[in-house]
Amino acid sequence: MSGVTFDGVTKRFGDVVAVDQLSLQIHDGEFMVLLGPSGCGKSTALRMVAGLEEVTSGILTIGERVVNHVPPRERDIAMVFQSYALYPHMTVAKNIESPLVANKAARVDAARRAERVREAAAILGLTEYLDRKPGELSGGQRQRVALARAIVRHPEVFLMDEPLSNLDAKLRTQTRLELVELHRRLGTTIIYVTHDQVEAMTMADRIAVLADGRLQQVGEPQAVYERPANLFVASFIGSPPMNTIAGTLSLGPGAATVATAVGAVEVADPGTGVDGAPVVVGVRPEHLDLAPVASAGADGAAGLEGTVENVELLGHERHVVCRVGESLMTLRHPNDHPAGAVGERVRLVADPKGVHLFDARTTERLN
Amino acid sequence: MSSAPAATEPAADPAGTTLAVPPAARAERLRRRLREGGLAYLFLLPSLVVFAVFFYYPLYRLVWFATHQQSRFRNRPATYVGTEQLTETLSGNDFFDGLVHSGLFMVYTVPLGIVLGVLLAVAAHRRLRGIKIFQTIFSSTVASSVAVASVVFTTLVNPEMGYFRDVSWLSLRSGDSALFAVSLSSVWQNLGLTFIVVLAALQTVPDELTEAATIDGYGPVRRFFRITVPLISPALLFLAIVLVVHALQAYAQIEILTGGGPGGATETLLFKIADPRGVRSLGERASLSLGLFVLTAVVAGFQYSMLSKRVHYGD
Repeated sequence: MSGVTFDGVTKRFGDVVAVDQLSLQIHDGEFMVLLGPSGCGKSTALRMVAGLEEVTSGILTIGERVVNHVPPRERDIAMVFQSYALYPHMTVAKNIESPLVANKAARVDAARRAERVREAAAILGLTEYLDRKPGELSGGQRQRVALARAIVRHPEVFLMDEPLSNLDAKLRTQTRLELVELHRRLGTTIIYVTHDQVEAMTMADRIAVLADGRLQQVGEPQAVYERPANLFVASFIGSPPMNTIAGTLSLGPGAATVATAVGAVEVADPGTGVDGAPVVVGVRPEHLDLAPVASAGADGAAGLEGTVENVELLGHERHVVCRVGESLMTLRHPNDHPAGAVGERVRLVADPKGVHLFDARTTERLN
Repeated sequence: MSSAPAATEPAADPAGTTLAVPPAARAERLRRRLREGGLAYLFLLPSLVVFAVFFYYPLYRLVWFATHQQSRFRNRPATYVGTEQLTETLSGNDFFDGLVHSGLFMVYTVPLGIVLGVLLAVAAHRRLRGIKIFQTIFSSTVASSVAVASVVFTTLVNPEMGYFRDVSWLSLRSGDSALFAVSLSSVWQNLGLTFIVVLAALQTVPDELTEAATIDGYGPVRRFFRITVPLISPALLFLAIVLVVHALQAYAQIEILTGGGPGGATETLLFKIADPRGVRSLGERASLSLGLFVLTAVVAGFQYSMLSKRVHYGD
């Protein structure tokens, strides 16, 4: 087992910078998720670890070894692809065995090979399918074969490039749990690329959020969710996404508030925000509540004026979508919570402790 | 390969229900079946007509000619000789020589053609600037006719002024090298087709498979033979069959390059059948044709059974 370190790693394709000065340390045995929208450079970063892409500049280390110019087969890594990339002309057993046969230098004798194939197949519940061809398997089973092919070589690092995105929703949830279990069992470092924040939140030890080839934030899932480092991370992580609205910060004697075009938002901790600064307020759907609109002027309380536009029932909870000025804001409530009726004028009140404050110019977090 | 269950087949009626059907309904059902059957034959008719006109009738005439001896005098009818003419021709030296020449032509053109086509396609299957230009050049022989290509080749090996005039194994004047030289010209003429087919097949191999193989630890050569070749094997089978057919049917290039010479060294079976100098009787040529027909059928059957075991068709 080994950690992986990116030290100022950059990858350029012609004039396009896919990964820009990435510095990231992935610890030995860690489940690290690289998360970001498509085209953010996460797959390129993974492919550089695999050796499928050359590093343009910077230093990439696996364990103690700088691998910038080490060919893939000498890196002792295994990779699971989105399409599984199984060899269609080989049986499941041959597919799983392939890494043990392919590398002449690290070749294992036939008896040991058969044993390791059996072992990997058993871990992933594939024993009865060993003689089948990939074409005769379901998507979930193919996915397992790809995983078995990865674990059979006992690699230093697992690389996974959106391995669940070709599965249906139910199977994806199930496989997510199995991957976490597999990681717990093997303890091998996993670098996992996805654009799905649910996968990132549920599986990762730490998440690295990327956008436009740059690292935005690294941290434990809960920390990234609770204290997003900038506006991008704030709006990318969380479903429904964080509500944002621009305004001006005013640090009054009693409490800090942000004045927006459609009302005021109270902030418990303005952090490094200065009086009169243009800011963007972010509030998670679960930190917004509805209040009667009549009380707004009466006691001078904070709140955003809006109209209920839609109520989505999800069984265990309810999303109330309100039009506030130009934009839409979403509230998330338990089912028994009183919801507004569609078309009703309402006041949206944010929990001051749940208000995130971002610099309007740099988009960096202020509190 | 997964085979879909025959879903359209109607379930057999249990005996009871069939008996219960009133006669009127049964007649209606029969009418419907006849109508559908008639429609099916109507749809089949065009291809049946084509087969009958261009295949079954000529085959029948071929057998007729092979079993009849033509009179030297035009107005005298041909006489029926049974299999006598056929066995005599097919056991003679003429047929044997043609068989050897056709066989050699096949051996020279098919493996070399496939190997060269694969090499070219692999070389051109990369994302490089200007690669389309090379791909166009490599596939250009598809667009040139056999006659034009043969004339170009004749010029190249012309003993007085040809670029390859000193290359003895390309000489069309020597009985030892002529067949090989003609074969080489055919390999070159078929190269465009082979190149295009293999390149298209290579482009269907997903990048991720090659990458997975790279990470598994296959070197480029083993990766090619263990992963790529099995995946393009349907295209290779197709090419093997097409090139064998091309080899057995080669005529124009032989006629243009050597006219069957020197000393009959490039007379393949088909060339003897076409018999441009008119040295064989119609009955002999028909017999040779039947021989070639059987040979082609045997080769195709052999190829299909041998290669289809090793060919992988998708999933």
